[in-house]
Amino acid sequence: MADGILLERAGVPAVSICTDAFTVPARAMAKAYGFPGFAFVTVPHPVASLTREQISQRAREVVPDVLRILGVE
Amino acid sequence: MTEHDVLASAAAEPLLVDGGEIRRAIEYYIERGWTDGLPVVPVTESYVAEFLARTRRDPAEVVLAMPHLERSCTVRVAAINAALAGCRPEYFPVVLAAWDSLRKEGYAERGLWQSTTGTAPFLVVNGPIRNELGINCRGNVFGSGFRANATIGRAIRLTAINCFGLRPHELDQATQGTPAKYTACIGENEEDSPWPGLHTEYGFAASDSTVTAMVIRSVVHIEARHTTVPEQLALDLAGTLSRTGALIHETISGCLVLGPEHAHVFARAGWSRRDLRQFVYEHAGRTRAELAAVGKDAVSGKTRWRLPADHPEAVPDRHTEQGRQGLVHVLNSPEALQVVVAGANNAGVSAVVETFGPRGGPPAITRIDT
Repeated sequence: MADGILLERAGVPAVSICTDAFTVPARAMAKAYGFPGFAFVTVPHPVASLTREQISQRAREVVPDVLRILGVE
Repeated sequence: MTEHDVLASAAAEPLLVDGGEIRRAIEYYIERGWTDGLPVVPVTESYVAEFLARTRRDPAEVVLAMPHLERSCTVRVAAINAALAGCRPEYFPVVLAAWDSLRKEGYAERGLWQSTTGTAPFLVVNGPIRNELGINCRGNVFGSGFRANATIGRAIRLTAINCFGLRPHELDQATQGTPAKYTACIGENEEDSPWPGLHTEYGFAASDSTVTAMVIRSVVHIEARHTTVPEQLALDLAGTLSRTGALIHETISGCLVLGPEHAHVFARAGWSRRDLRQFVYEHAGRTRAELAAVGKDAVSGKTRWRLPADHPEAVPDRHTEQGRQGLVHVLNSPEALQVVVAGANNAGVSAVVETFGPRGGPPAITRIDT
């Protein structure tokens, strides 16, 4: 979350992605960085134990959300 | 009137404050979230001044920063939280030394206190101040019952919550945490130990008072009344230290907190602290087959965390790389293990304190400035 905010502030478009288990800490971190409305993407928890194919599937699923936050038409 | 006289007369007189007023103050702090869940001591400016009078340090001096949160703790904020925690003002130099050691230790400033792992700071106090402040180093040393142990450790936790915002479910993401998060502060039982104090191993005089800080994951109990053979006892400790569940990184680290009875088993056989650390280093390990059985026979090429050998990130661990056979050591060196003596001299009970990270090298120790 912090990395995403710092990249955005440096002028680099960024989208933070975390699992839904971290939604509350992610919002708290955004608030701590003075960016309480920072938009981010969540994926179902967990990811650490997924296979390579399952990870790819998760990535495909969130692409529309990532593009939406980036403002891609 | 001295402070002692004031307290003595206060104890002799009936309390003139209405309990409802005290409760109202306590509830106010809890409503603001300035608590670990237990009631805190109401703090006013005059009470903070009593803490600040115990140090020559500037109230604005930073004792620890968490740059990733853009937050830092000053001497004054540390004093407020020590007061909230129930410390007496004379404990404050110990709390400040604890912060200095935690800063040297390094994990707090790198965000580890927020990790899902769920760690807690662990403080070991050495030297004459233990007896001056009543820091327990004997029976029930990890348990309850002693104001100094209970509140010095709690002062750190309340600062983490109130100053750094490390509240559970928010910036503190611990999956389960540990009971040590309320407080984890012990004294070394130098009086019943066969060896000089821990701090004397690292260049401090026996007459110095010090705080050693480590970040820990858990405290594992060892009950060994069955043997007076030092090798058997040391293997029992090594076997506990090397449990596979603790082995998340390529190697681990630990602090043996020996009950005095166990320490004397080693000392009677002529073992120094250094001898014990060397023996445990050599014998704390798992076979390759045992690691494979739990899917920890390789490490990640990126993080060096242990993984199954068929994981896409898996690379051989150093033991395999170096072509070594036999036991895969869980410590990177004898220095990754500390040895402290604490507890009552009444039974064959010790503990393995599982410290976070691979470590090695001297621990983070600070002399208490009294």
